[in-house]
Amino acid sequence: MSEIAQDGGGGHKKGGKVRSKKMSTRIDFTPMVDLGFLLITFFMLTTTLAKPQIMALVMPDKDIKKEDVEPVKESKVLTLLLGGENKVYWYEGITDAKLDSTDYSAEGVRQVILNKMDKVKAQFQTETYKRKNKEGVEEEHTDGSYINVLIKPTKNARYKNLVDALDEMAITKVRYYVILEVSELEEAFIKNPAGGLKFSVDEQVKAATK
Amino acid sequence: MPKNKPKRSAPSIDMTAMCDVAFLLLTFFMLTAKAKPQETLVIDTPSSISETKLPDAGTFTVLISKEGKIFIDMTGQHTRLDLITNIDTAYTLRLSEEQKMKFANLGSFGVSRSQLKKFIDLPSAERSAFPAGGIPVDTADVNKSELADWIHRARLAQFRMKQNGKVKEEYVIIVKADKDTPYPAVQKVINTLTDINVNKFNLITSMEGKAEKK
Repeated sequence: MSEIAQDGGGGHKKGGKVRSKKMSTRIDFTPMVDLGFLLITFFMLTTTLAKPQIMALVMPDKDIKKEDVEPVKESKVLTLLLGGENKVYWYEGITDAKLDSTDYSAEGVRQVILNKMDKVKAQFQTETYKRKNKEGVEEEHTDGSYINVLIKPTKNARYKNLVDALDEMAITKVRYYVILEVSELEEAFIKNPAGGLKFSVDEQVKAATK
Repeated sequence: MPKNKPKRSAPSIDMTAMCDVAFLLLTFFMLTAKAKPQETLVIDTPSSISETKLPDAGTFTVLISKEGKIFIDMTGQHTRLDLITNIDTAYTLRLSEEQKMKFANLGSFGVSRSQLKKFIDLPSAERSAFPAGGIPVDTADVNKSELADWIHRARLAQFRMKQNGKVKEEYVIIVKADKDTPYPAVQKVINTLTDINVNKFNLITSMEGKAEKK
């Protein structure tokens, strides 16, 4: 197709009339291809093909009323304190809480959450509770495996830690989780785990509804 | 008998097909291309397993740099023009029409209201060198917080534009922070958002590599 005509077109036939030279109609496409790829390279480098992902986050309302606060079973609560240097401190419930620390790996915090889920599942398997559905009709639920995770990033935590923790919620399908501010009590607890945690429920409610 | 020499032809390749492919790809990239917006600050987002994509239009982004400086960015020229006109009247910044147009085409910015005029006047190449201190945030009093004010007014502007039919959607609030941003800076933004009753927002994350160990 586009070979380079070396004989300069039609060429002379033996004898006969001298015809006007016919130029080959073939075009050398090489420079055009060059240009094409140059432009492709340019567009490839300047475009942003990969759109970033987003992760939805819903925060509780600021002016929550005390009447609207629904008490949660202490044994279902898992608190994750996101510390500095990619460490997660965690404790279960509030009475005689024991502080333990782990990391953000699949064997770390994820296992903690799954263990808690199993424990809650074993304890509350047949528990029923009532919850209003979208139409406002009360429905009875029997699944008691939902745990409540409180995520409390300390001031040493990085943004990445928060996203990692939220990611774990998505991976382990925890339905009820909330991001809260870390209390002074808990900060002291991290520094001195042996000291224990002395929560009063009233204070917790006050802190959540301030 | 003279040997029959094999006819030698020039070693040429048919370029037509290659040319076709090249231009097909070129057309594809030209149509899908969206020029990278000029970034005033570089943010390395953390990764997550989320697969929801960032919407193209109707986003109000709060960017938090590694140092905790807050920048904002919003989509839609009409909305931006409406917003800056609104801000200009409310705080008498005395911006010219040309400056307002410039603002409408501006990318993200992180300057206080008082510095805004100076920032707009800079040529685009010098904007990244501007000593931006970030949008001021006052967590104690939400009414004094410029960030809260920007978000509030931007949402209203977008709502007005939606009623005019200039845009299709209301703003979705996006928080984009660097993975090394200290949490207190993020908390400041989250508190500001909940203070103005924006309880639902989105965090930008990048795709999690399958091989990457969590």
